[in-house]
Amino acid sequence: MFNITLQVAAHPDHGQRTRQVVSRAVLYLLLAVGAFIFSVPMLWMISASFMSTAELFSTETRFLPSSLRFDNYIEVFTSFNFARYLLNSIIVTGGIILLNLIFCPLVGYSLAKFRYPGRNLLFMFILATVMVPFTAIVIPLYLTVRSLGWINTYQAMIAPFAMSAFGIFLMRQFMHAIPDDYIDAARIDGASEIAIYLRIVLPISQPALVTLALITFIGSWDELLWPLIVTNSEALRTLPIGLTKFVEAYQTRWDLMMAGSVVAALPAVLVFLMMQNRFLAGMASLSGLK
Amino acid sequence: MKLKNDFITAPSLSQRRARMGFLFAVPGLLFFIFFYLYPILETIRISFHRWGLLDQPRFIGLSNYQQLFADPEFINSVYVTLTYVFATCIPIWFVALGLALIFNESFRFRQGFLTIYYIPAVISLTVWSLIWFLMYNPTYGLTAYVTDALNMGNVRFLDAQLAMLAMVLLSVWKGTPVYMIIYLAGLRSIPGDYYEAAKVDGANKWQRFWHITLPQLRPVLLYVAVISIIEAFKVFTPMYIITRGGPGSATRVLPVFIFENGFQFLKMGYASAASVIFLLMLILLSAVQFRLLRSQADDE
Repeated sequence: MFNITLQVAAHPDHGQRTRQVVSRAVLYLLLAVGAFIFSVPMLWMISASFMSTAELFSTETRFLPSSLRFDNYIEVFTSFNFARYLLNSIIVTGGIILLNLIFCPLVGYSLAKFRYPGRNLLFMFILATVMVPFTAIVIPLYLTVRSLGWINTYQAMIAPFAMSAFGIFLMRQFMHAIPDDYIDAARIDGASEIAIYLRIVLPISQPALVTLALITFIGSWDELLWPLIVTNSEALRTLPIGLTKFVEAYQTRWDLMMAGSVVAALPAVLVFLMMQNRFLAGMASLSGLK
Repeated sequence: MKLKNDFITAPSLSQRRARMGFLFAVPGLLFFIFFYLYPILETIRISFHRWGLLDQPRFIGLSNYQQLFADPEFINSVYVTLTYVFATCIPIWFVALGLALIFNESFRFRQGFLTIYYIPAVISLTVWSLIWFLMYNPTYGLTAYVTDALNMGNVRFLDAQLAMLAMVLLSVWKGTPVYMIIYLAGLRSIPGDYYEAAKVDGANKWQRFWHITLPQLRPVLLYVAVISIIEAFKVFTPMYIITRGGPGSATRVLPVFIFENGFQFLKMGYASAASVIFLLMLILLSAVQFRLLRSQADDE
C-alpha cells in the first residue's frame, strides 16, 4: 500500500496517465451501453422481420432469425395493400414538402429582409402557433374539410401542413444572415424584387432549403392523427395508418408487422444516413443557434 | 390614416419595397389565420353548443364546461397529461444534457456513436410504438429478457400500474436524441476563449461547468424546456397504438380524450370545450416559461 502511494507520488505523470486510461475506459463503457439502448429496438425490429411467427414466439430466447427468409416482406406486399400505403405516404409527404419549400422561404424572406408595419407582430403570431396543439383545433379543421367535400382526398391530408412555423423560422434565420449588400447591389442594377428573390436569395439559401425538406419529411412521414380523421377508405391509407390497422385486424401477425415497420422506417433512415450532417445542423438551427 | 394616404399618393422607393415585402408574407398570414386562428375561434364557439355532428348544434352556454369539471374522466385526463409531461420532460433534460456534454468532447468514433444515438429520433413514432408494444410483451418481448436477467420476475409493463411508466420510457428514449443535438449546438457556440481564460485562472472542470457552461447555455436550456413541454403535451400516437388510453384510464392523455369524445362519441361541443381548456393550459404554461426567457434576456 505504502509502496504504491510512494510510487504515485514519485511519478505524478504515471498517476495521471492511469487516470486518463481509466476515464477513457469508463467513457467508452458508458457510450457502449448508450449505443446498445438506442440501437437495440431497431436491430430487434430488423431481426424479427425475418422470423416466422413460430420463431418470434418460441419459448427459447431468440435474437437472430434462423435464416434470412423474406416471406414476411413478400406477404406484406402481396396479401396486403402495402404498396398502396407506401405510394400514398409518398404522395402526401411529397406534397407537403413541396408546399413548404415554396412558401416557407417566401414568408421567411419577408420577415428577414423587409421593414413594414406589423412585421414583428406577424412574426410573433406565426411563432405563437407552435404552442397550439393540433388536437386542440382538429374539430373545426375536420368540419372545414368536410364542408369542402375533401374527406378521402389527398389535399385534405396535405393542406394543414403546407407551412410550418418551424420552417418559416428556419428560413428567416438563414436569410437574416445573407448580407444586405447582395440584395442592394441587385436593386441598383434594376432587378425586380421577385427576380432578386428567385435569382439571388433562393440560390444562396439552398442549404437551408435542403434542411427544410429533410425536417419536413421526417415530420410528415409520421403523421397519424390527421389522416386517421379525414380518410376512411382503404385506397387512401398512408403507412402509419396502414401499420396500425394492421395491428387491429391481424393481432397475431407480429411477424408481418415487423416487416411492415422496416419498410416504413427505411426511407427515413436512408435519408438520414445520407445527409446526416445537414440534418443535425438543421435541428440545431431551429433553436436559433447557427 | 396619414400613413395610409402616403401609401396611396406618394409611394417612395422604400414604401414600395415595404409593400412588396409584405406581399411576400401574405400567403403565410392567410395560412396561419385559416389553419390556426380561425379554428381556435371556432373551437371556442362550438364549445358553447351541444352537437352530435349529425344533428343541429344547440347553444347551451357554459354547460359543457360545467359538465367537464364534474367529469372524473376529464379530471383524470388532466392529471394523467401533467404526469406524463413532467415524467417525460425532466429525465429528457438531464439525460440529453449529459450526453451532449460527452459528445462535446473529442474522442475516437464520436461521429459513429452520434449516428447510432440519433436513430430513435429519425424513425417515426408510429413504428416505434409498434416495436415497443411487442417489446413490452411480458412473455416474448425484449423487456422480458431484461427483467428475467435482473431477476425481477414477470413484469407486466402494460398493466394499469406500469402503463404510464411504459409510455414515459418510450417517450424519453425517443425524445432524448433530439434535445441532445440542440444542447450540443449550444455547447459548441460557447467561445473556447472563455474556457482558456478560466483555465489560466486555475478553475477546475466543475467550476468551469458551473460558471461558464451553465450560464452560457441558459437560453438553450430554456428553449428546450419550452419546446419539450409543448411537444409532450401533444402526445397521441403511443397511447393510440399501444394502450388506447387504458388500461382503464391510466394513460388517457388529453389528446386521446379529445379524439375519443369528438370522433368516436361524436360529442363535438364537449370535445371542443376540452380542447379550449387544453389550449389554455398550454398557453398558461408557455407564458410562464416565456416570462422566464424574457427576464433572462433582460438580465444580459
